[in-house]
Amino acid sequence: MLAFSSIRLVVLAILSADPQRPVHFDTEIIPVLTRAGCNAGACHGAAAGRGGFRLSLLGADPAADHESIVHQFEGRRVHPVDPELSLLLRKPTGGLDHGGDVVLREDGPGFERIMSWIRAGSPRGAPRTLTAFEVMKEASIGDELPVEVPLRAVASFDGGPPEDVTRWTLWTSTDPSAVRVESDHVVKLSRPGQHVLIGRFLDRVVAVRFSVPLPAEPVDLTAEPRNGFIDDEVLRVLSELRLPVSPPASDAVWLRRVSLDLTGRLPAPERTEAFLADASSEKRGRMVETLLQDDGFADFWTWRLAKLLRLHSLPNEPESLRAYSVWLRGEIVRGAGLDSLARQLLTATGDSHVVGPANFGRMVGDARGHAELFSRFFLGSRMGCANCHNHPLDRWTQDDYHGLAAAFAKLDRGRQVRWLPRGEVTNLRTNEPAVPRIPGVRDLAAGDDPPRELTSWLFEEEPRLFARATVNRLWRGMFGRGLVEPTDDLRDTNPATHPELLDQLADDFIANGYDIRQTLRRIALSETYGRGEAVLPGNVADDRFYSRAYSRPLEPEVLMDAIADVTGVADSFPGSGFGRAIEIVDPLVPVTALDLLGRCPSAGGCDEGMAGTGGLPAQLHLLNGDLINRKLISDEGRLGQRIAEGRSDREIVAEFHLLGLGRQPTDAELTAWCERLATGDVRQRRLRLEDFVWSLLNSRSFRDNH
Amino acid sequence: MGHPKFGRCDGISRRDCLRVGSLSALGLTLADRFRRPAFASGGTGGRAKSCILLWLDGGPSHLETFDLKPMAPAEVRGPFRPIATSVSGMQLCELLPETAKLAGKLAIIRSMTSPLGEHGLANHYLLTGYHPSPVLRYPSYGSVLSHTRPGRSILPPYVAIPESLGAGAGFLGSECEPFVAGGDPAKPDFRVRDLDFFPEVDAARLGRRREYLEAFDQVQAGLETAAPDADSEFDRAYRLVTSGQAKRAFDLSLEPEAVRARYGPRTFGQSCLLARRLVEAGVPFVSVSHTGWDTHEGLELSLKSGYSGAKIGVGLIPTFDLGFSALLSDLSERGLLDETLVIAMGEFGRTPKINTRGGRDHWPRVFSVVLAGGGVPGGQVIGASDRMGESPLDNPVTPNDLAHTLYTLLGVDPDRELQTADGRPVPVNQGGRLIRELT
Repeated sequence: MLAFSSIRLVVLAILSADPQRPVHFDTEIIPVLTRAGCNAGACHGAAAGRGGFRLSLLGADPAADHESIVHQFEGRRVHPVDPELSLLLRKPTGGLDHGGDVVLREDGPGFERIMSWIRAGSPRGAPRTLTAFEVMKEASIGDELPVEVPLRAVASFDGGPPEDVTRWTLWTSTDPSAVRVESDHVVKLSRPGQHVLIGRFLDRVVAVRFSVPLPAEPVDLTAEPRNGFIDDEVLRVLSELRLPVSPPASDAVWLRRVSLDLTGRLPAPERTEAFLADASSEKRGRMVETLLQDDGFADFWTWRLAKLLRLHSLPNEPESLRAYSVWLRGEIVRGAGLDSLARQLLTATGDSHVVGPANFGRMVGDARGHAELFSRFFLGSRMGCANCHNHPLDRWTQDDYHGLAAAFAKLDRGRQVRWLPRGEVTNLRTNEPAVPRIPGVRDLAAGDDPPRELTSWLFEEEPRLFARATVNRLWRGMFGRGLVEPTDDLRDTNPATHPELLDQLADDFIANGYDIRQTLRRIALSETYGRGEAVLPGNVADDRFYSRAYSRPLEPEVLMDAIADVTGVADSFPGSGFGRAIEIVDPLVPVTALDLLGRCPSAGGCDEGMAGTGGLPAQLHLLNGDLINRKLISDEGRLGQRIAEGRSDREIVAEFHLLGLGRQPTDAELTAWCERLATGDVRQRRLRLEDFVWSLLNSRSFRDNH
Repeated sequence: MGHPKFGRCDGISRRDCLRVGSLSALGLTLADRFRRPAFASGGTGGRAKSCILLWLDGGPSHLETFDLKPMAPAEVRGPFRPIATSVSGMQLCELLPETAKLAGKLAIIRSMTSPLGEHGLANHYLLTGYHPSPVLRYPSYGSVLSHTRPGRSILPPYVAIPESLGAGAGFLGSECEPFVAGGDPAKPDFRVRDLDFFPEVDAARLGRRREYLEAFDQVQAGLETAAPDADSEFDRAYRLVTSGQAKRAFDLSLEPEAVRARYGPRTFGQSCLLARRLVEAGVPFVSVSHTGWDTHEGLELSLKSGYSGAKIGVGLIPTFDLGFSALLSDLSERGLLDETLVIAMGEFGRTPKINTRGGRDHWPRVFSVVLAGGGVPGGQVIGASDRMGESPLDNPVTPNDLAHTLYTLLGVDPDRELQTADGRPVPVNQGGRLIRELT
């Protein structure tokens, strides 16, 4: 079924550009250069230009580009008498040697347009502002692949009627093996799944999403159990893509999963046994409540927030980090809304050794760092690109970046955090002091109070920005991936797998007073979260639509604590003595094992989603290092004690299964282990049992959250 | 539009799924998942199979090593005199007698130039070929090589001895970080971290642990049909610690006493020897860091004697001379020099005028870099500095040009695009020019 009707209506209204009107440089020549790649970062759009010819990146600065083309290089780039001789035409068509090869065809419309512009005297033209840019496509795709889909891009200037700019739009496929741009206005889809095509026209970038169902029979998911809007939305997308749903996880798998996700800990054996024995239909709800009120929850989410806020110790000022982390934990324990926490981060001043949230800006060196941390944490957005040039894929301009930095420029980041009467940052675009600015919205007036303006923008004018960034991270905490990945790179051109769900979660979060427990509860009790990981023939390839559960490695700190819990031998950390790895909010505390396991090693934080699993050094450490081995040989450890108590192999095997894997072994497993472990020699028995526990701790069943 | 995959160093592009906008999970076949990036080859040169980077951390003085100015005033000339080498017209510092004998193998660039005179920034520039940027951490040579030359070798593709350098994997992610040897190769009990069995865990027990582990993982695999990694991290680690051959590559104690002595008793020399063993065993990139070259004061002492009253000089230069010359001749005797590119450099040079504390400060405007092997024509000096060793006199070479050339020599196409986690394409090298004399 093709739904063309919406397009047809618009098509009637689209005007062609008036052929009599002179070509307009800013809005008609620049798109030609962008499409040909002339002003890309790898070519003349590089900060230093290329071959002595410099253009602004993707045409962000038309005035400079006009100057550079028309006046620089003794005006040889345009030849008003003989336009064909203009370097602007001869170079890209290969008429003259060009380092960037042939990028413009002489029989193409771009060539023609540049010609007529030069013929008209290369004018800049009257200012004209792009006020709307939209891409239209078919609403749904049929069964046959590959399929060609026509596209249409329309733009309005100064609020005028839409013009067709399809052939002047730069189309980029994020996965050319699935979506290929065949011509100016047709894309070819050749693989099922969700695909994205990016269309750029002048400074606007839009993402066009294609949902291509699997070449399978439609699946009927209407009878699937559902618990709220999460399941509705996930099932809707699954049925659109024709993905069948795996059966639910067992109680044991669900309990281990939800304990790890909410508290970063394995469930205690008594808790597991009681839960498995409980026949009540309310038990999952009760368990989620228990976990949400657990101390482990406060520890774990303090640690998670600390990573996002880049908590670290400052030289010679241990009081700062202490005040900050104690405050953070206190806010989580008392169940403060994240809006209240966020407001304090933006506005707190005073002695940072006492006032925890006053340390927000102290974790970064300067106003620019403050702006970047602000955009990552509050907007889930990487604004750093816009330091040196307008963000090529997002709406942020250099003025936004430096303007946001200017909003923090008056902050004194010494021990006494306070706002000074003056302080500025230089806008690298203008080399003038930047005007404080709410990014993407408006400049602040001289008398405005920047933190207050930013707070009211975040929580009154556009609350969805912070809410989306936050619920996306909560989702990632529960599923191992965000609805948008990476979770600190939300932008229109990086759409969510479930955009409607992201918005519903965000709205729900706001409506419930920014209560993270409420969002986590909703997720934990959804059928989507409770899915099993068994793979069906039809959903093997699914890794983002939640037709099944995806296992993911335990984070380094969680793994280290889990090893300590199972072996019954606690770790000892510098400065704090015995404790849990999750309590170390300071990445500067030296812990070799954590470094080897792949924790983010830097006070400056890591890109979200970049944390590795430590690779080869981690594996070697688990194999030969003392992290596991030393704990296994300890007589004070669990294994040593059980042997001393005279427990049987059977009992020991069962206990470690329950502890480490959150389930009882099956009879077959028990029998097999007893056979493997059987020996008449006491010393041999001990070694075999050590090897058993070692293998358990190295198994995917243990090291992953399933 | 063939974007290279954002792959792991072992070639499996796990992070594909995280790539921005690439939402094409469905229809992703296993063949796709296990596709490895094409082996970059060809280009001009590209003879070198492996590379040893001797990193002289802190910024070695060009005026006391490879670019002496005997005709300059005393405060520029410094305390040491030049000596002739086996190549007529090429002179080196008198503290480099062993290196001087091998001058026929050396290509010395005396016109390196950079604007960056701060350690962190300059480190990054020299080790990556990219100016540092606040928004992107670029990958260093070894990490790029790990990424573009994923092997199924038992040995890791990038080993750092004894510690890692300032710049690491950058945006290529933790999987392309070097494998850090740790410890001090000059100590008699030196062992690479976690390579030896834990006490009382012998090969037989490790075999049993593996067997037990398979029992656990089979239970797990029964639940999923999504194929587990064909070559898991565990398998690689297991092969490494159980393969006698691989482990032997890291074991310096297997070297005959005479060979160990040849490299000198100090950390740098023994690190060079370990680097040779690793390259011989097939590791594509090894870095050896030699610290202490930031000679702001008492330069004569730290460069020559090492400590006051030393009978034989054990300072930085004699230590380097011994290790470097032993490495080159050892590689050469084993027929490995032609396929092993050896580079010695630091982040910048030192100020032409000796300061009041008898030292020299940071000076990036001109400095020297030395290359040998890997098909580089030896016995030549490229470019020159001016009379005072202050600026390049001709043929200025930037770290960016050097990067372009090194990648070319190592068979990595400098124009090849890498991908950041958020999907930004970044070429291996941008805007550098090939130093023709080196190819």
